[in-house]
Amino acid sequence: MANNALARIESALRERKLDRTLTSALAPLERSDAAAFIPFGVEAIDGVLRGGLPRGQVSEIAGSPSSGRTTLLLQLLSAATRGGEITALVDTCDRLDVASAAAAAIDLDRLLWIRGESRLVLSERSESKDRVVDRAIKALTLVLQAGGFAVVAIDLADVHPRVLKSLPFTTWLRLQRIVEGSDTACLLVTPEPLARSAGGLTVMCTGRTKWSAAQTQSGATQQTRHTHRVTGLETEIRVVSPRRRVDGAVRFTAVANDY
Amino acid sequence: MFGALYAAEGTDQTVLESVAREFSPRIEVCGPREITLDLSGLARLFGDARTIAHELRRTAADRGLRVRVAIAGTRTAARLFVQHRAGITVVEPGTEADALSALPLSLLSQPPTTNHQPPTTTLRQWGLRTLGEFAALPADEVAARLGPAGVEWQRMARGEDRRPLVAAVPEERFEQTLELEWPIDGLEPLSFVLGRLMEPLSAHLERRDRGAAVLHVRLHLVTRAVHERSLELPAPMRDARTLRTLALLDLESHPPDAAIDRITVAVDPTPGRVVQFSLLTRPLPPPEQLSTLAARLAALMGEGRCGSPELVDSWRPGVFAMKPFAPRDSNALHASTPRRHEDTERKNLDSLRASMSPWPVPVNGAASPTVVLRRFRIPIPARVREEDGRPVRVWIDRRGFSGGRVATAAGPWRTSGAWWEEGAVAPKPRSGEGGWDRDEWDVSLAGGATYRLFRERRAEAHSAKADTWFVEGVVD
Repeated sequence: MANNALARIESALRERKLDRTLTSALAPLERSDAAAFIPFGVEAIDGVLRGGLPRGQVSEIAGSPSSGRTTLLLQLLSAATRGGEITALVDTCDRLDVASAAAAAIDLDRLLWIRGESRLVLSERSESKDRVVDRAIKALTLVLQAGGFAVVAIDLADVHPRVLKSLPFTTWLRLQRIVEGSDTACLLVTPEPLARSAGGLTVMCTGRTKWSAAQTQSGATQQTRHTHRVTGLETEIRVVSPRRRVDGAVRFTAVANDY
Repeated sequence: MFGALYAAEGTDQTVLESVAREFSPRIEVCGPREITLDLSGLARLFGDARTIAHELRRTAADRGLRVRVAIAGTRTAARLFVQHRAGITVVEPGTEADALSALPLSLLSQPPTTNHQPPTTTLRQWGLRTLGEFAALPADEVAARLGPAGVEWQRMARGEDRRPLVAAVPEERFEQTLELEWPIDGLEPLSFVLGRLMEPLSAHLERRDRGAAVLHVRLHLVTRAVHERSLELPAPMRDARTLRTLALLDLESHPPDAAIDRITVAVDPTPGRVVQFSLLTRPLPPPEQLSTLAARLAALMGEGRCGSPELVDSWRPGVFAMKPFAPRDSNALHASTPRRHEDTERKNLDSLRASMSPWPVPVNGAASPTVVLRRFRIPIPARVREEDGRPVRVWIDRRGFSGGRVATAAGPWRTSGAWWEEGAVAPKPRSGEGGWDRDEWDVSLAGGATYRLFRERRAEAHSAKADTWFVEGVVD
């Protein structure tokens, strides 16, 4: 009798996914096999992140302009699509440069691009921005609920932090609840860490544009001038998630040579 | 046992078909006035062959048709007799060759059964006049002189069938209609009605192993207007819930003007989809799921805002195209066939990519990251102070964008295009329309951000007050 009651309680807890919160005897939810991560395809990054971005979690890439966060995002989409999986990008402010995406070797046929409002920066009205962000998060929810995508990313990098902070915190919990247990990695690209998911990664990016200088002589007077060109973008990534131990920071350089 | 009907000139073929279908489901339309039908098993219902022939003729007469009827053991014999004799002809099975022997050779050219014309002239020159005389010739001698076709004609002269009867399948309409007792207004009640219509339609498609290629929804309104919507589906599908959701999402975007009092749902059928999953790779979501997602996203974000990006072969900065999101399964059965074409396409794509990228591209698909531009679809006006022809300070009058002193600058790179097009005189850099003529600069500001700026040269020439400097994107 007692055994039946215990079995019923355990079953109810398992249905509500509460069993692991009450006991440490069960196997951990976090998977450690290679299939549980989506690699970035760059050895240094995957090494420090111990496999890549975890599936079934909400992760974040945060940073300021020119910090390399979009490079990192496109690199992830590229690796996933080249692996035969499909991806989705909710582009809140319609910032994706298709030529850059193609240059990052993304299989464009496997990328679902959901374009938000291009005029967001032109409209200073806060209610308009709120509406655009709300719509983008609804689109993100729809894609996550549909399932079957390896990476579903939302680009909130150009949304003001004040607008993002005004969103209810339950938004991110709800997203976490949707992706939990699935093979989808949900990724937020933000100016500042926002969701701080316990199981996901929060990656901070800081970047520096690399320039090269050359001396050229021009004009009839053979005047010597210093000309520059962009040769790359050096990005340092650092994981700030509380529960994910990583082996320090790592730097990688996105190339723009022969420019 | 087979029968043949041959109607008088000017007969409506559909009426003739309906007469034949009353007697047998297996009929073959041999011409505009001629039909053959399989009469096997009818003897128990009507009696002997002659009674069946009389019944056929009487039924046709009731419909206002005058027909000849011939019944024989083979289709060919029945067709030859119905061409030759008026009224009713009945030949006992097994005696076709004897019965046909007296018929003239010219009959062979009457039924258009093959693409080749019979060699009647040659046969006449041989002194042959009847089918029996031709049938009596040795087959090997006929083959030696007339080839394999000659043997075929000889078998026809004996009344032998070259192929079995190919039954005509009646055209099926995949359509459901519902007349409403009370007009309905709004999508919620419509959802229930559509569900009721889609269920039998889906079952019908399932029975015939068909999928819907196009879904038509016709709403007859109380204003006597007809609101019609057609949805082209990306893959054949027949799931009732998916079809209902797609129809509803489309009607949400394009609602009818008035209440509805009759609803018709029809589909254009296409062969069903066969999917072979792989044990080694993750399966893609089914097309039904992707279609529903695409429809929901389109309703939320607007038409043309969701899909797959596509490169366009143009030098215009930032140009792209959108296409419906329809990823190909890498394990598709036919995936291996066009491999060579795919390789060629990929090489072409790589070269196109290299030519269009704002940065140089490693075309070998290497994993090393490349510098990415975040492009402002609508360029942001900026104020730039220049010294010695180079930008030294930038002001961006938009919240969230930092201006400042230029630490490093590279440029200018001059590009122009589309100046030959109609109406390209006045460039519109904000909308990306018209021609362009610009100097591009990459500038790193003291704050650390690197922007792509451009100066619109022709705007400067046309108006001193026009915004000539714009921020095109940020390197990120």
